[in-house]
Amino acid sequence: MELNHLLQEMNRRHFFRQGGNAVSLAALATLLGREGAQGAPAPAARHVASGPHFAPKAKQVIYLHMVGGPSQLDLYDYKPMMNDWYDKDLPDSIRKGQRLTTMTSGQARFPIAPSKYKFAQHGESGMWVSEVLPWTAKCVDEMCFIRSMHTEAINHEPAISYMQTGNQVTGRPCLGSWTSYGLGSMNDDLPTFVVLVAKPSNTEQVQAISARLWSSGYLPSDFAGVSFRAGADPILYINNPPGVPKEIRRKTLDGIRAINELNYQSLGDSETQSRIQQYELAFRMQASVPDLTDLASEPASTFELYGDEVKKPGSLTHCMLLARRMVERGVRFVQIYHNNWDHHGNLAGRMPDQCKDVDRATYGLINDLKSRGLFDETLIIWGGEFGRTIYSQGGLSKENYGRDHHPRCFTMWMAGGGSKGGTIYGETDDFSYNIVKDPVHIHDFHATVLQLLGFDHERFTYKFQGLDQRLTGVEPCRVVKELIA
Amino acid sequence: MKLEWVAGFGFLFGMAGLGTLRGDDLEYNRDVRPILAEACFRCHGPDSAARKGDLRLDQRDRAIETKAIVPGKPDESEIIARLESTDPEVVMPPPAIHKIVTPEQKELLKRWIVEGAEYQPHWSFIAPVRPPVPDVKNKDWAKSPIDDFILSSLEKSGIEPAPEADRRTLARRLSLDLTGLPPDPSDVDAFVNDPSPQAYEAYVDKLLASDRWGEHRGRYWLDAARYADTHGIHFDNFREIWAYRDWVINAFNRNMPFDQFTIEQLAGDLLPDRTIDQQIASGFNRCNMTTNEGGVIPEEYLVLYTRDRTETTAQVWMGLTAGCAVCHDHKYDPISQREFYQLASFFNNTTQGAMDGNIPNTPPIIQVPKVEDRDRYEKAGAELGAVKTEIETHVAQCKPAFDQWQATTTPDALLSMVPKEHLAFHAPLSDGTENQVTLTVAGQPRELTMTTPIAWEPGYAAPKAIKTRPETPIEVADAGDFESDQPFSCGAWVKLPADGMTGALIARMDESSGYRGWDMWIQGNKFGSHLIHSWPGDAIKVVAQQKLQPGIWYHLMLTYDASKKVEGVKLYINGQPQPVDIEARDLKGSIRTSAPFKVAQRNSSARLDGIVMGDVRIYSALLAPADIARVAGATRASYLVGRPAAERSPQEADELFKWWLPAVDATYQQLSAKNAALAAERSAMEAGGTIAHVMQEKGESAMAFILHRGEYDQRRDQVTPKTPDALPPMKSDQPLNRVGLAQWLLQPEHPLTTRVTVNRFWQEIFGAGLVRSAGDFGISGELPSHPALLDWMAVDFRENGWDVKRMYKMLVMSATYRQSAITTPEKREKDPENRLLTRGPRFRMDAEMIRDSALAASGLLSAKIGGPSVKPYQPEGVWEAVAMIGSNTRDYRPDSGENLYRRSMYTFWKRAAPPASMEIFNAPNREVCTVRRERTNTPLQALVTLNDPQFVESARHLADLALQEGGDSDEKRLDYISRRMLSRSFNPAETKILLESLAEMHAYYTKETLDAQKLIGFGESKFNPSTDPVALASWTMLVNEVFNLDESLNK
Repeated sequence: MELNHLLQEMNRRHFFRQGGNAVSLAALATLLGREGAQGAPAPAARHVASGPHFAPKAKQVIYLHMVGGPSQLDLYDYKPMMNDWYDKDLPDSIRKGQRLTTMTSGQARFPIAPSKYKFAQHGESGMWVSEVLPWTAKCVDEMCFIRSMHTEAINHEPAISYMQTGNQVTGRPCLGSWTSYGLGSMNDDLPTFVVLVAKPSNTEQVQAISARLWSSGYLPSDFAGVSFRAGADPILYINNPPGVPKEIRRKTLDGIRAINELNYQSLGDSETQSRIQQYELAFRMQASVPDLTDLASEPASTFELYGDEVKKPGSLTHCMLLARRMVERGVRFVQIYHNNWDHHGNLAGRMPDQCKDVDRATYGLINDLKSRGLFDETLIIWGGEFGRTIYSQGGLSKENYGRDHHPRCFTMWMAGGGSKGGTIYGETDDFSYNIVKDPVHIHDFHATVLQLLGFDHERFTYKFQGLDQRLTGVEPCRVVKELIA
Repeated sequence: MKLEWVAGFGFLFGMAGLGTLRGDDLEYNRDVRPILAEACFRCHGPDSAARKGDLRLDQRDRAIETKAIVPGKPDESEIIARLESTDPEVVMPPPAIHKIVTPEQKELLKRWIVEGAEYQPHWSFIAPVRPPVPDVKNKDWAKSPIDDFILSSLEKSGIEPAPEADRRTLARRLSLDLTGLPPDPSDVDAFVNDPSPQAYEAYVDKLLASDRWGEHRGRYWLDAARYADTHGIHFDNFREIWAYRDWVINAFNRNMPFDQFTIEQLAGDLLPDRTIDQQIASGFNRCNMTTNEGGVIPEEYLVLYTRDRTETTAQVWMGLTAGCAVCHDHKYDPISQREFYQLASFFNNTTQGAMDGNIPNTPPIIQVPKVEDRDRYEKAGAELGAVKTEIETHVAQCKPAFDQWQATTTPDALLSMVPKEHLAFHAPLSDGTENQVTLTVAGQPRELTMTTPIAWEPGYAAPKAIKTRPETPIEVADAGDFESDQPFSCGAWVKLPADGMTGALIARMDESSGYRGWDMWIQGNKFGSHLIHSWPGDAIKVVAQQKLQPGIWYHLMLTYDASKKVEGVKLYINGQPQPVDIEARDLKGSIRTSAPFKVAQRNSSARLDGIVMGDVRIYSALLAPADIARVAGATRASYLVGRPAAERSPQEADELFKWWLPAVDATYQQLSAKNAALAAERSAMEAGGTIAHVMQEKGESAMAFILHRGEYDQRRDQVTPKTPDALPPMKSDQPLNRVGLAQWLLQPEHPLTTRVTVNRFWQEIFGAGLVRSAGDFGISGELPSHPALLDWMAVDFRENGWDVKRMYKMLVMSATYRQSAITTPEKREKDPENRLLTRGPRFRMDAEMIRDSALAASGLLSAKIGGPSVKPYQPEGVWEAVAMIGSNTRDYRPDSGENLYRRSMYTFWKRAAPPASMEIFNAPNREVCTVRRERTNTPLQALVTLNDPQFVESARHLADLALQEGGDSDEKRLDYISRRMLSRSFNPAETKILLESLAEMHAYYTKETLDAQKLIGFGESKFNPSTDPVALASWTMLVNEVFNLDESLNK
C-alpha cells in the first residue's frame, strides 16, 4: 500500500512538472529500476528510459549541422599533393566504381580540383586548417577532429535524416530527442530540446530541411524539438495578443485555474490537474523566453568576443550566442541548422560567406563557454551530412570549381563535453576519396556521443513495434574511445 | 500485495497478466508467449536470418523436436535448464542482450510445460466467430449487446458502471463524436426537452444525417491515408490532390459500405466501367511522399514508394507492422521477408515515375470536373465519341462528292477563299522570270528588278518559289510600316535548307536604334517573332516550341492584336496556333521605324540565305484563326488543283482530300464544329474542376525483387503477388492484382480486416481501442481488453453489410457510452486509464476539433464542404524556416475572408511544416500512415489557445454576439456564451468566478482604452461598430478564458 501511494505521488508530481503519460512512466521507471534490483518483474519498464547508464561527461549539447555538406577538402582535410593533379582525371583505382549522384554520373571526365585555399598547421596538435577559418584555427587544441566520417547516403534528404536519426528513411527520433528522452529536463520554464534555424549570409545553394528532422519519431512527442525563431516571437504563440498585458493574462489564468479546480472536484480527471500545471508553466515561459532572447544584459565583452554578426537576429553567430544562453539556463540540447553548404558550383564564391558565418562564432562560443565554466560539460558538434568530391562538377579553373556529394569520407569535429581536445582522428587517401585509417561511421559517431552523454548505445533502447529500437541501429558499431578525454 | 500491484500496473490494467499468479488456467497467448517473445524470439523466433543454433521456440513441433521443450517434464526441458543456469556461457537469455526473465516468469513456464506446453496460434490470426453475449447479473443496464460484454467484465472486477450522464453532457458528447463540432444550443434544448422515449435515438439520427459527419469521420481516415497537400521531400511543392480528400468525405456522408470503400481505394482504377469517383478513390495509394531531388537514383525511390504503399495497406487494413519485414523476416509476426516483397509486388506495377517533377499534377492523373458538371462531362464524352464515329463514317463515304468537286473546281476559285480584305502587301515570289518579281503594295502592282538573275526552286503553293541570296535582295520602303498600337498579320511559305539556322525571314527593323521594328524570326530552326521598341528592355519576343525540319515546307504566320502584350502575339505553323516560349514580354513604346521592309534579313544583319520562300503576305488587320488556316490551306490547294489529277502523287491527292473536308465539305464542317464544341465544353469543365492523382497499372504483370537488407541495389529473387501464408489464401477467382488483394482482405475468413476496423471506430469514440495498439495486431501488439466484444463487433459489422453508420450508432447508443465521466477514487485506482470502461469517455479533443469548436461557437465557422485547401492565420516564417528557395510552398500567404474560417481539415497541409497550431496538439505530419494520434498535455498547447489569433478573434466574435444577442445582463450574456461553447449553463460558483474576472477586465480596459482597441482589432473579421470597445475587449478576454477551460478542450 505504501508503494501504491508513493507511485501515485510520483505520478502526480510528474504531471505537475511536465505532463503526459510518457513522463509519468519515466517516474515509474526510476522506481522500477530500484525495484528491479530486488527481483520485481519489470514489464512496465518497456517504454521507459531508465536514466544514464553511467555518469555523463556531457550534460548538454550544442549541435551545429551544416546543411548541404561542407567540403572537407577546402576546410580541414589538407591534400597538398593534389596541386600536381590539377585537371587530371580521378584515377579509377581511387574511384573504384563507387556510385555517384545522377548529377555527375553522366560527366565525361572527373577532373581533379585541388583546393584553392592555403592551409597551415595550428596549435600543439598541429591540425591543418584552411585559411578561410582563421578564428577557428586558434581553437584547434580544444577541438577533436574526425577526418574519417563516412555514410552510405548520397543525397541530402536521406543523408541529413541519417545524420540526425541514424536512419535514411524518415520517421525515427533524432539525437536531440534521444538525449531529451534519456536525460530529461534541467529547467521547468524552458523546453528541453530547442531547434534554431540560422539564416546564412549567402543563399545560392540552400537545401531543404524539415520539421521532421527534429520530430521525436516513435518516442513520445514530449521529446520533439521546439523550434525557436529569430525575432519577436521566438516560440510560436509565446506573446499575448495585442492589448493584453501580463497582469490581464494572469487574471485570465487565475479564472481558468479556479474553474478547472471545480471541474476536477466534480469529475476527478487527473488530466485536469495536469492541465492546470501546464497553463502555469506556459505563463512562466512567457517570462523566461523573452529574458532568454534579450541580449541587453550581455556585457560588452560578449559582443567583442563574437563580433558584430552576433547582433543580427537569425545569423548563425546570433544563434550560437542564444545557444550559450540556453545552455546556461539548462536547455539540454540545442540543435542549430546552418544552410547553403551544397557547393556544386562556384565554391570560391560561396565558401568565404559560409566561413564568415561560422568561423568567429565558433571561436566565440568555445571561449565563451570556457570562461563561464560550461565548456567541460557542454558538447559542441559540428558537421554536415556528407563530404564533397575531389573532382570538379561543371567548369574547373584554378580559382573556382564545384564539388558533388561525397559520402565516402568527410570531416566533423567535437569540442568540450568530455571530447578529447587536440585530437586528429582518421585519415583519408591523397584524394580525400577513401578512408585509409580509422573509419568512423555515423553509427560509430552516434555511439560515441551517447557514451559522452552517459549511455551505452546498445542498452539505450525504446520498445517500438516489438523491437528494442536504438539510435545506432542493428549493425554492429563501436564507441570511438580515442575521441573521449 | 506490493508485487501484485506492480505487475498489474505493468500490464496497464489490461486483462492479462494478473490472473496467472493466482492459479487460473494458463493460456499460451495471454501468459506464455509474452515472456517467450520478450526473452527468446529475437534469436529463436520467426526471423530465419537472426536464428541462433537452429532453434525455434515459436513453433511447438520444432521446440519439441530439439528437446528444448519436453511436454510434462520441465526438468528435461533444455529451455528451463538454460533459464536457470548460473553459468554465463550457458544461461539464457545471454547477459549481453539485457533481457531478464524473473523467477515468477520461470515458474510460470515450468507450470506451462507440466500442463503439456500447449501452443495457440496468435489470437488475431484466427478468424473471429461471433461469441455468445455473456450473462450479466444486472439485467437492466444494457442497452446494446456491447453493454453486456462491458458489464460482464465490470461485474467480475466488482466495479459499478457510472450513472448515465445528463442530457446536456450527452448532447455535447454526441455532437462532438459524430460531427466534430459542438451542437447548436437550440438543438440541445430541443433534445433536453424532448419527452419521447426515442429522444436520444432521434438526436443521434439527426447528427448521423448531418454532412458534418463525413467531414469528421473523413478527418480520421486522412491520417491513415497520409493525405497532405505537398509532395513531402526536398522542394516539397504543392500537390493538387484534394479531390481524394473530398471523395473520402463524400463516401462517409453517403455511408458507403466499408467493403466498397476498401475496394475503391485499393483498386478503383482497375474496376470494370470505373467511374471518375472510383479512380479518385485510388488516390489513396498516391498520397505517399515523393521526391524530385536532383541527383537521386530513381530505383531507390521507386522502392521506397512501393514499400510505403505496402506498409500503409498492411497497417490500415490488417494492423500489421509489415515494414519490419523489409530488411529481414519479421522478428515476431509470421511475415517473412519474401512474403513482404510478394505483398509489395501488388503495388509495384504502377506507371508512376520516381520524380514528382515538382509539379502539382504528377502523372498518372485524371481530369475531375466539378461535381455538378460530372454528369454532363461524362455525357459530353460519350457524345464526343459518337461524333467521332460519325466523322469517320462520313469520311469513308464522301469520296464520290470529293471527286465531283475536284472535277469542277479551279485554282482561282480556291484562291478566292483566301482573305483579300486588308491585304497590304503581297509577294507571290513565284514569277520564275530572269530578274523580276511582281509585288502588290497597298493594292497597287509594283515590279522589282534585280541586277543579277534570281534563283528559282520548285514551289509548294505555286510552281516556283524564290531562293534567298544576298545578290537578289527584296526591299520595299513602304511595306509593313506599323505602329505598336496597330494590328497586323503576316505570313509566308518557307523551306529551310539546313538545321540550326538563325536569322530574319522578313523584317522591318533598324538595328542601329535599339532594334526598333518587328520581324518574323528563325532561331535554331524555330519560328519566332520580335516586336521591339528598344531591345531588350522594351520589347516582346516569342519563339514557337516546335522545331522546323530542314527540307520540309511550312506555312508560317504571325499575328499581332495591337495590345502591346505578349499574349497579343500569336504564331501559327500550317494554320495551327503554336505554344511558345516567351523571351521578352515588356513592350511599352513605339515599334515604328524608317528602315525598309526586307525579306530574309533585317536592315543590315541577320541574313537567312538559301531558304526557299513563297507567297509573302502582310495584312493590316488581325486575322482570325480560321482565315489563317485558309491562307495556308487554300494557297496550297489551288496549286494542287492547278495540276492535272494524273500528275498528283497519292500523298498529294490525300492531302487535297484532307484539306477539302474541313474547307469545303459542309457535312464535315458541321460535324467537326460539333466535335469542337463538345471538346471545348469538356475542357471548360476540366478547367473549372481539378485533377486527381490516380493509380495506373503498367502493361506487364506485377512483380518485385526481394531486396537484401531492404537495399534497392541488392536485388535477390524475383517474386510475384501473393498474400502471406499465415493468413487464409486468396481464392482462385481473385485476380492477382489490387482488386484481388482488396477482395482477399474482405473475405469472411480474413481474421484481421474487420477487427482492425471496428477497433479503430471504437478508438475514435472511446479514446483508445479495445486493442490499444491500433496499428499493431501482431504478436508484439497489445492484447484486446475485451476480446469477445471485439470479435462480436467484427462479425456483426461484416454480417450487416459493413455498414459504418450502423456500427457507430451502435457504439453511441450503448449504455457504456452514455455513462458519466465522473471518476471516483476507487475507479482511479482500479482502472486509471478507463480500460474497463468504468465511466464515460472524456479526453482532450484533437487539434482540429479544438479550433473548429471555437470557430463554431463564435459563429465564424464556414459551412462550405470541400474544394482546394485553405490557408488560415499562421505565424510568419513557419514555412520559410524549412523550405528551399524556389519551393512554391515557401511563402505562406494567409487567405482572407471565408477561407480563414473553414473547418480545420481543409487547412493546407505542408508536410515539411504542418499547420503550426495543430502540430502542437499532436496532429501528425502526414508523412506516413498514422492510425493513432498521441495525446499530450503541454504548455505550448496552452499558448495556442490563449494567444493564437484564430482563437482570440473567435473569442471577440463570440463576445460581440453575446453583447448583441445575449441579453441585458452580464449573467445572461455569460449564459449565452456557455451554452454555445459547453452546451450548459455555468453553475453559481463558476458564474461568480467569471463575473469577477469580467469586472477586473472591465476595470483595466476602462483605464486603458488603447489596449481595448488593440485587442478588438486583432483578426480580419469586423465587429459591430456601435459596440462599446471597452465592453467588447472585456468580454473578449472573458471568452478567451472560457475557451481555455479544461472542459472546453475536452469532449
